[in-house]
Amino acid sequence: MILEVKNLKKVYGDKTVVNIEHIQITPGETIGLVGNNGAGKTTFFRMLLDLIRPTEGEVLSKGENVAHQENWKNYTASFLDEGFLIDYLTPEEYFTFIGSLNQLSTADVGAYLMQYGEFFNNEILNSGKYIRDFSKGNQVKVGIAAALMQKPEILILDEPFANLDPTTQIRLKNLLKAQAGSMTTFISSHDLNHVTDVCNRIILVEKGQVIKDFQTDENTLRELESYFSA
Amino acid sequence: MLNTFLSHQRKSFWRSRNRGGSIAAQVVLGLFMLYFLLVALGIGFGMKIFLPKFFPHQDAITSFNGIILYYFAFDLLMRLQLQELPTLSIIPYLNLKISKSKIVAFLNIKALFSAFNLWPFLLFLPFCFVAVLPQHGFLVVSAYILSIISLMLLNNYLILFLKRKSISNILFTIGGLAIVSAFVALEYFKIISIMAGSDWVFKAITKQPLLALIFPAIAFLIFKINAAFLRKNLYVEELSAKQEKKVSTDYAFFNRFGKAGELAALELKLIIRHKRPRSTVLMGTIILVYGFLFYKPEVIQSNSFGMMLFAAVFMTGMSIISYGQFMFAWQSSHFDGLLSNKIDFKDFIKAKFLLFTIASTILTILASFYCFISAKLLILHLVAYLYNIGFTTVMVLILATYNYKRIDISRSASFNWQGMGATQWISIFPFILLPILIYWAFNIFHQPYMGLLAIGLFGLIMLVTRGFWVNFIVKRFEKQRYKIAEGFRE
Repeated sequence: MILEVKNLKKVYGDKTVVNIEHIQITPGETIGLVGNNGAGKTTFFRMLLDLIRPTEGEVLSKGENVAHQENWKNYTASFLDEGFLIDYLTPEEYFTFIGSLNQLSTADVGAYLMQYGEFFNNEILNSGKYIRDFSKGNQVKVGIAAALMQKPEILILDEPFANLDPTTQIRLKNLLKAQAGSMTTFISSHDLNHVTDVCNRIILVEKGQVIKDFQTDENTLRELESYFSA
Repeated sequence: MLNTFLSHQRKSFWRSRNRGGSIAAQVVLGLFMLYFLLVALGIGFGMKIFLPKFFPHQDAITSFNGIILYYFAFDLLMRLQLQELPTLSIIPYLNLKISKSKIVAFLNIKALFSAFNLWPFLLFLPFCFVAVLPQHGFLVVSAYILSIISLMLLNNYLILFLKRKSISNILFTIGGLAIVSAFVALEYFKIISIMAGSDWVFKAITKQPLLALIFPAIAFLIFKINAAFLRKNLYVEELSAKQEKKVSTDYAFFNRFGKAGELAALELKLIIRHKRPRSTVLMGTIILVYGFLFYKPEVIQSNSFGMMLFAAVFMTGMSIISYGQFMFAWQSSHFDGLLSNKIDFKDFIKAKFLLFTIASTILTILASFYCFISAKLLILHLVAYLYNIGFTTVMVLILATYNYKRIDISRSASFNWQGMGATQWISIFPFILLPILIYWAFNIFHQPYMGLLAIGLFGLIMLVTRGFWVNFIVKRFEKQRYKIAEGFRE
């Protein structure tokens, strides 16, 4: 059990945004969080990362409550939105900074980034721009690459496919699939094709509640489509 | 059409989300504006009295003539750094059925709405009416006014053109400042005199008012060049000031401080690369001239440090308070990232202390040039320095944990009240009042130096116990971080 969510609730005013009774996640799973806007996906992710204080309940990472200690930061990497990027840095500076937090030297970071030339499509490194000057798609690429660079045991990505060009979407899917088994991945997406393709488990949420939680098989995509078209 | 544009602009100003929300903040802002306007007007009307005092060997009108060109030289430099290109506002109109010439006309009119175009009226016109009119009559005054307004317009459009044409690098401004200062120096040593030149020009205009027409002619020419350039290049990416190539930098100096140093280097980049924090910090250096107002020979002679202490604390600690009062909010746009990354909160807080200490140290070193007035001031500054790095830093960071207001740091700092709240106002008082209170307590017994010693000791004790305060602030920060993060996400 690498992640466990118990009785998690977040209430704003009289509106319950997240209300999840119990989720257990075993190491190596790739989980897709699916739901319409306002289903509470981002709020849920923020609670996983201890960015929002739950109204009730707890998130246990390797058995420890994320709100009470910070050990989980050693093996968790995430990219939710541009708010995670330090946008006044050049990408190189940002990678070096993130690397230094994880005891990676500048040389390590450089070596790591070498293999991402294709992913970045040569638009990101040595571009002479700050991150804030990039298009949204390229910002997302920086965020995802920085998260993967940390070689995390748990990876959390919010809508990673949005804003990416088709080629990069496919590359990202391959990257994620290659990690399956060794890394626990939690992604949210509005693109049913992508999640069913990448994930081996789907959690469907609506209005903050888990509606369905199941392993993917060949029928999953159809099931999801029929659910959302209803 | 122009009216429609302008009404849109008016709406965009009044409905702007970044305008300080609370009424109180706006009232204070209004008062500040009024204050500055009155000060400018006061200088304008007072020139008849000030000028003979500053330049005792010549009559007021000669001095007035002399400063006009100087003013506009400085004006040009200030504009180079501060005046913004009114470009973004036209984006929504470009794809509509509006002729380009109308958009250009709008851009040119919008460019007039700048504070820089207000000061000359307040500073120069009063003197024209009060002093020039009685002596030279109506025609000459009209020529003066025409020249001054034309010079203002000339600067206005020239700077827009220059900014659009080339990279508006801060080095240009510094270089320009150096040139103007060189001229001031040459003036002082009576080698070349711009003042005499400026006076010569306006003397000529006094003799032959029609000569003044040359200024509107030049201004009109520049206006036309600018308009033609705009007309030809009406593409948003070409109109905004050109971007320099950004390079990655590494501040090796900070590496010796470990993780905290790295975070401090990160924040230093934040300061250097954004307008608002940059000008906030620069303000701290400008404050250094405060000493000239407070350090009077008779005050120094009598060891009455009370008011001087005020100036000293202000000068050595201004950057701490002005930057610190928005603390954590500077990083509001990526605060979530900082929290979810592997950053020890203790390092995070230590980095702030490190930056503050460095800033205050630099300011104190700079301020030590006052020792030419009196060596006593060095003691005073040392005391203020200890107080600031010991106490003010702790104060500011404790208060920072109560600050939940997001700010957009890419906007300019002047009259920007975004992120202003009660915390900011309260924070200034104890910071200034406390040392003066301590000092007064000793001064009742006529022990001015004991008073200074007490303040210095107080600062030193706070400094020695910094470890405790770091832990204290970290605890508060841990408790408050959700609230802070939530506020910053708004």
